[in-house]
Amino acid sequence: MVTATSGRCGGTPERRGPGGSRGSCPRRPARRRRLGAGTAAAAAGENAQELQAFRDYGESWYRSRKGLESRFQPREPLARQPQVTAEARCKLVSWLIPVHRHFGLSLEALCLAVNILDRFLATTPVAADCFQLLGVTALLIACKQVEVHPPSVKELLFLCCDAFTRQQLRNLECIVLHRLNFDLAAPTVSFFLEHFSQVRLEARGADAGEAADARSLAAGVAELSLADYAFTKYAPSLLAASSLGLADRLLRHCSPLDLRISGYPEELLRDCMDQLQLLVSLNGRSLSLLLPRLWLGVCAPQSRCSLIH
Amino acid sequence: MKKFKRRLSLTLRGSQTIDESLSELAEQMTIEENSSKDNGVSNNGRISYGKVQPIVKNGRPPTSHSMHSFLHQYTGSFKKPPLRRPHSVIGGSLGSFMAMPRNGSRLDIVHENLKMGSDGESDQASGTSSDEVQSPTGVCLRNRIHRRISMEDLNKRLSLPADIRIPDGYLEKLQINSPPFDQPMSRRSRRASLSEIGFGKMETYIKLEKLGEGTYATVYKGRSKLTENLVALKEIRLEHEEGAPCTAIREVSLLKDLKHANIVTLHDIVHTDKSLTLVFEYLDKDLKQYMDDCGNIMSMHNVKLFLYQILRGLAYCHRRKVLHRDLKPQNLLINEKGELKLADFGLARAKSVPTKTYSNEVVTLWYRPPDVLLGSSEYSTQIDMWGVGCIFFEMASGRPLFPGSTVEDELHLIFRLLGTPCQETWPGISSSDEFRNYNFPKYKPQPFISHAPRLDTEGIELIAKFLQYESKKRISAEEAMKHAYFRNLGTRIHTLPESVSIFSLKEIQLQKDPGFRNSTYPETGHGKNRRQSMLF
Repeated sequence: MVTATSGRCGGTPERRGPGGSRGSCPRRPARRRRLGAGTAAAAAGENAQELQAFRDYGESWYRSRKGLESRFQPREPLARQPQVTAEARCKLVSWLIPVHRHFGLSLEALCLAVNILDRFLATTPVAADCFQLLGVTALLIACKQVEVHPPSVKELLFLCCDAFTRQQLRNLECIVLHRLNFDLAAPTVSFFLEHFSQVRLEARGADAGEAADARSLAAGVAELSLADYAFTKYAPSLLAASSLGLADRLLRHCSPLDLRISGYPEELLRDCMDQLQLLVSLNGRSLSLLLPRLWLGVCAPQSRCSLIH
Repeated sequence: MKKFKRRLSLTLRGSQTIDESLSELAEQMTIEENSSKDNGVSNNGRISYGKVQPIVKNGRPPTSHSMHSFLHQYTGSFKKPPLRRPHSVIGGSLGSFMAMPRNGSRLDIVHENLKMGSDGESDQASGTSSDEVQSPTGVCLRNRIHRRISMEDLNKRLSLPADIRIPDGYLEKLQINSPPFDQPMSRRSRRASLSEIGFGKMETYIKLEKLGEGTYATVYKGRSKLTENLVALKEIRLEHEEGAPCTAIREVSLLKDLKHANIVTLHDIVHTDKSLTLVFEYLDKDLKQYMDDCGNIMSMHNVKLFLYQILRGLAYCHRRKVLHRDLKPQNLLINEKGELKLADFGLARAKSVPTKTYSNEVVTLWYRPPDVLLGSSEYSTQIDMWGVGCIFFEMASGRPLFPGSTVEDELHLIFRLLGTPCQETWPGISSSDEFRNYNFPKYKPQPFISHAPRLDTEGIELIAKFLQYESKKRISAEEAMKHAYFRNLGTRIHTLPESVSIFSLKEIQLQKDPGFRNSTYPETGHGKNRRQSMLF
């Protein structure tokens, strides 16, 4: 089973992506491992440290992020796009998901990248042939904001088959930063997943195993929802609560998360959960690929870096 | 499924009037048409989406192999997109913007049309033959110069509105001269109205003397023509291999949302073509200079006021999950009223503390907690609290607590004072390879009081709470403000609104520091080291 610690690396468990899994894992994840491994003592202390910080500040973190949500919510990002369609967006984000995993980036970075993408789309018409460049640019900016080792421009360009130049990426980066007025610290689904899971762990009689499993599955569900344009209308906190609710339902947990802590009315939660369930049923196959350890019961924390199956 | 399809089809594809904004460009285009004829590649001069631009290059070093195989894998995934979408649409022209080979066999076809030794910039010449390679999975075209560029092409290529400056790269590609850079940058009404009164414009600020220079930024003292106030202008160069520096991105995006009396105020951001200028409020000196100026003998009352303000600013950050990570006296700015403000949030990222700055300068280790020195990479708010303890000690005693020059030296100094940790004093430490490898002598902890005799009992008690080996045991900024050490500051100080200075209370007053040399702050006295804190 997935343990709380195995899922902590990068904020989301490393799972086999729909495609990008086999083969050697390049330099970056190795570097992460070196840094992340630290020492046993450090590793043991980290959880306690997170927990202590959560006890000190968790509520205010939640309140401040929640307060920022509407400001950072993209509003119909594609409504004014002459060329970029929901299918194109789906395809781009579906590509960014394995890319972020390839670089060993956190779910937080991915969520931020999609948020940057959407908010930029809401401000500026983008040509279809610039769209992939916009995708990697958003990812680069998101990584610069939250990651220790952002991927290099060269690596990102290579993933686009060098269809774009360094100068183009740097120019677009400037345009995006300018357009968004450097408003980058958006609240993310990833943050709220973490928060609700911590709240759940703090509750009396919490089942740590169930909490960790629900969180892993919910992270997978939330990741799927990033790619679907229909879900851009939901606030991250609502998506996080609903993903966890759905995960608990799918995993038939005995002590599911009390969704009332999200502060959303029941019908809103139910609507979002139903949409997510539909999404999951449409993508059952790729989701099972996303979550092999959870669903196949494989426990191999080491495998998160050496992705050889 | 039907529901999803319907939703997708509902996506508006309003034919937006980007044509209008592009007309200016198109005008310039016609001028260029003739001159670009020699570079002609495409037969019809149109950018077509369904054609393959061969991308895979010949003679790649073998090291790139893993990347190739990576692409192969992705390729596989694209045959079955994670989200099942109407395939007819995805396979269609609009879905084909992604520059990547779709499957193995397609990749082979691309291989057959290899360009020799191209670097991606200069491969226009080989276009003719490759143009004929048709691919249903089309790959986007970037590196061509077209003989004729019609409005429609432009529409596809440059659907950026004219009110935003067109990036050089695009223009080079299309061989247009750059438009003048002084044209208005944005039409958004809010910003427009702000810019009418002078915000976002460099002309609003007069540069006075240079305060310091680093690899990524230069800091000037300046004056705002709007308010006549002094400002600090931090000019960040954006022209780097990797684009805008992380530090700049983080500092701006985080500081924008931090409005507090004990955090340096970001007044304005000026975007120019090659640089970004952050306009900060001007503060006379940093804590390091302050301590120097009073001969390292501060009034103990002022020590308390400064510590309280550090904690107050820090608690505000921590409540927003913003960590500072690089607290040191040079990053704490102080004005003549004694107001202390946290500055330099460049390192305040959500994860990790680097040992070197982006510009490869070594970050001082003096204020870094032992768990981080020993390689822990997960931190939370407690990471800042160790540094607060070190700064507290330094203010009270007049000398840095642990002035180590290397990681080992730093740890050695810490252990010599606080005692070498063992399983009892720091659970889990004995299993740390890092720690065991250093093989430190077993020091016994020494009493604090002999090192900082001017601190009272409460102060000693508080400092010990900051300097805990186990990060989770360190007192939080929020808690520390309630400590008995601050009791004589009264109770009103705890209920002040965030944006109000503690000196607005009449019972809170700065005292004269015993060692203070001169009462006027020299304008240019400190030369190079001044405002070092503002540099990356």
